[in-house]
Amino acid sequence: MKLKCFTATLGLVLGCAALAHSAELRVLVKDRNGRNIGDAVVLAVPADARSAQHTKVPQDAVDQVDKQFVPYVKAVFVGSTVRFPNSDNIRHQVYSFSPAKKFELPLYAGTNAPPVIFDKPGVVVLGCNIHDWMIGYIYVSDTPFFAKTGPLGTASITDLPPGEYRVRIWHPSMDRAEEATNRQIVVGAEPVVNAEWQLGLKASFRVPRVSGAASPSYP
Amino acid sequence: MRPIRAPLSALLVFCAATHTARGDWILAASAALNHDNNVGNAENAASMVSDSRAEATVSLRQQMPFGDGFSLSAGGDLSGQIYDHLSGLNNASVEGILSLKKKWGLGAFAPWGRAGISLGRVDYDDGYRDATLYSASLEAGKRLDERWNLWAKYAVEWRRAAPAASDLDDVSSDVFSQHGETFKIGVQYSLSERMSITLGSLLRYGDVVSTTQADAGIYANSKAVAPDPTFGPGAYAYRLLGTTFGARLGLEYSLTAHSLVGCGFQRLDTRARGGTDYGDSMPELTWNYQF
Repeated sequence: MKLKCFTATLGLVLGCAALAHSAELRVLVKDRNGRNIGDAVVLAVPADARSAQHTKVPQDAVDQVDKQFVPYVKAVFVGSTVRFPNSDNIRHQVYSFSPAKKFELPLYAGTNAPPVIFDKPGVVVLGCNIHDWMIGYIYVSDTPFFAKTGPLGTASITDLPPGEYRVRIWHPSMDRAEEATNRQIVVGAEPVVNAEWQLGLKASFRVPRVSGAASPSYP
Repeated sequence: MRPIRAPLSALLVFCAATHTARGDWILAASAALNHDNNVGNAENAASMVSDSRAEATVSLRQQMPFGDGFSLSAGGDLSGQIYDHLSGLNNASVEGILSLKKKWGLGAFAPWGRAGISLGRVDYDDGYRDATLYSASLEAGKRLDERWNLWAKYAVEWRRAAPAASDLDDVSSDVFSQHGETFKIGVQYSLSERMSITLGSLLRYGDVVSTTQADAGIYANSKAVAPDPTFGPGAYAYRLLGTTFGARLGLEYSLTAHSLVGCGFQRLDTRARGGTDYGDSMPELTWNYQF
């Protein structure tokens, strides 16, 4: 019994010590015109692979609201389970052709679609076979240290253990390869590390939702 | 408006029935302002009447997707047109539509085909143009990528109207009953994230109505003739057999994810039996909204 108490106390102390030394990486992502970029995924890969172990794999969700995927971009850790609840009062048929995850959910309404496990890192492009304009992205991260920028272009990765990281950015409309954004960042004694990226974005052509005057009518 | 009440009621019952079959409601609206330089399809410049009109349509559909890429749609359109000068052409119409769509494969780039039928009723202010409309169509399309979209449509339509009042005894006065077949193709290209250009072309063969001052040459080749006082005293409507070639160029801009505004220009040229040829040019402004 005494040994168990000692082990638990030691674990707690070591855990607190590690947290006390962990840092936050704050990232700002802008385009070439200085405008803030939302929906960019920031990934920090530790040089010491042990830092990325023992990570809890959460359950996530990508909703369908007003015939759109919400959020437009979702970042998850590899092995995560993602549910696709349907908040619309119509049916959707979610699918992906992406090599990182090929799947097809049957037509469904409500929340009863089976969850999907994303067990391979990479980008998964989502679509709906009934509503062709619906598009969404799931970024399956190979590192537990990731975050997504909000409308102000900022993202924050907290609880980073000290050490060296290769940090990269991904965005659905970026005009270069994700690897080209790689940057070495060292997390040391400072509680906050700031970094800024500038991305070039290409035009993002999407299937239009509205049928034009001379186009085939929907549905 | 009384004649369209019955079809409107039938349409509502039809939509309610499909709703109980667990369909997904789809509501859309559109409006347009356009100008036609030859509303009456006259051949001679002296008989040509130009006018502008405003039109609006509300569309309600029940979409019922089911297995293997099939989707059944049922619903209807409620439309109205108001002319600036030719008030006799002001009209309201209701149309019930049933279509079956098939997608061969998953995704936005899968080819699709659709077969549809429609039944409608149009009621004009001048009364004698009122008609029951029937049509059947086959459509197919394929989106090549996010920027290019192609489609084609074949439709056959019938228009049944009561014979107009006429003082001519030796020829039918059933001018506004028509039959025709139309083949259309279209291509759309996205110029930018919000702007697209659409080019369409059509070929139609069937009955056409040309309204002009009394003309013995047209009279001799007409299937039916009747006075058409909407276009003024002395105007006659002639039903002829003709071939129409058309083209439309449109530019559209997405205001929001739900709405488009656009402008377009359509040109139609018709060669009717007996050498009656006429053309129509129609610039227009459009607005489309989908909920």
